[in-house]
Amino acid sequence: MKIIKLDAIDSTNSYVRQLSLHEKLVDFTIVTAAAQTSGRGQMGTTWNTEKGKNLTFSVFKKVSCLENEEQFYISMATSLAIYNALKHFQIPKLAIKWPNDILAENKKICGILIENVIQNSKMTAAIIGIGLNVNQTDFDTLLNASSLKKITGIHYDLDEVLFQVAAQLEKYARLITERSLEQLKMEYELLLFRKDKPSTFEDTDGNLFMGFIQGVADDGKLHVLLEDEIVKAFDLKEIKLKY
Amino acid sequence: MDLKEIQSLIKFVAKSGASEVKLEMEDVKITIKTGSGDYKGETTTVVQQIPMAGIPQQQAQAPAAQPAAPAASETPAPAANDDSKYITIKSPIIGTFYRKPSPDKPAFVEVGASISEGSVLCVIEAMKLFNEIESEVSGKIVKVLVDDASPVEFDQPLFLVDPS
Repeated sequence: MKIIKLDAIDSTNSYVRQLSLHEKLVDFTIVTAAAQTSGRGQMGTTWNTEKGKNLTFSVFKKVSCLENEEQFYISMATSLAIYNALKHFQIPKLAIKWPNDILAENKKICGILIENVIQNSKMTAAIIGIGLNVNQTDFDTLLNASSLKKITGIHYDLDEVLFQVAAQLEKYARLITERSLEQLKMEYELLLFRKDKPSTFEDTDGNLFMGFIQGVADDGKLHVLLEDEIVKAFDLKEIKLKY
Repeated sequence: MDLKEIQSLIKFVAKSGASEVKLEMEDVKITIKTGSGDYKGETTTVVQQIPMAGIPQQQAQAPAAQPAAPAASETPAPAANDDSKYITIKSPIIGTFYRKPSPDKPAFVEVGASISEGSVLCVIEAMKLFNEIESEVSGKIVKVLVDDASPVEFDQPLFLVDPS
């Protein structure tokens, strides 16, 4: 494990990507930044945090043993790593909200942005960006956001949290390398938010319907048990969980 | 594409809530604009036949080989031959095709751009995983075959590249 610490950068994911283009990066290189000037979330959204209070970092992980259809296992491994790192700090009511949000007491405390490198139609590396809210307590307009400190009242040492997450990531990355994919999926499904509970979903037309989350398919689609015992697989864009 | 298909397409677009959809196929180009606000539900559709011989890249590629203005029915054949010397870059996965790293940034590549092996061509997103697709060949982008932010299938052609 190699850690590069930056005071400020546009985005740690972009920085790692640039580095990987120009030099041979050591597997499992981690880049942290005390401040990101244009931290990125999903396509066009931004990730903003107060300087020095939270963890924003990216991990460069070589991945050559996954088929393109199996990419979602990277998402599962990352979610599991963060979940277990936070469990170590005894954060209450943790869950993984499909596909890869980490919740504590029903609030989002961590965002993940995974960017894969595809060469010759094969995946060669993943850049795993993690934004974990640690000591920030003011989220003004973001009702659904929280942090470790806001939940427990404890001030955390950022390096200690980083070390835990990194150690767990190494552990779960090993499961991918060993292709223990069934185990990954089993663990992931066990921790899914609202699994086997009656839940309300919204489809693309705004219609509400009821169902039970049962698990995920290999490609990441969500298996939901609907009326009449029908299990349907939903793509991310087809369904929204109301909570 | 027949009238019925176009009609159902208009209905589909109007229902989807998209403000504008452009669809380009071999010989037809369709632009559907849905009115917003007060004009909700109203759609404007422009259907355009693209003259085959008028595609600029193809003319530029083989001007000498083209016989002078052949009958319209004969044109598709030389066009197909023209494309055959290009390399097609296909999608390695199912997902959503993005030409830009983020909406406010310029596209990774434009038509006419020189690319080399390893150049990033596009991003294909699937299940919140963002895949940067690198080129396997060097050359020049001749055509971008998919619109930004549209869904793509496995093996769907994305770019035409002139390797010469």
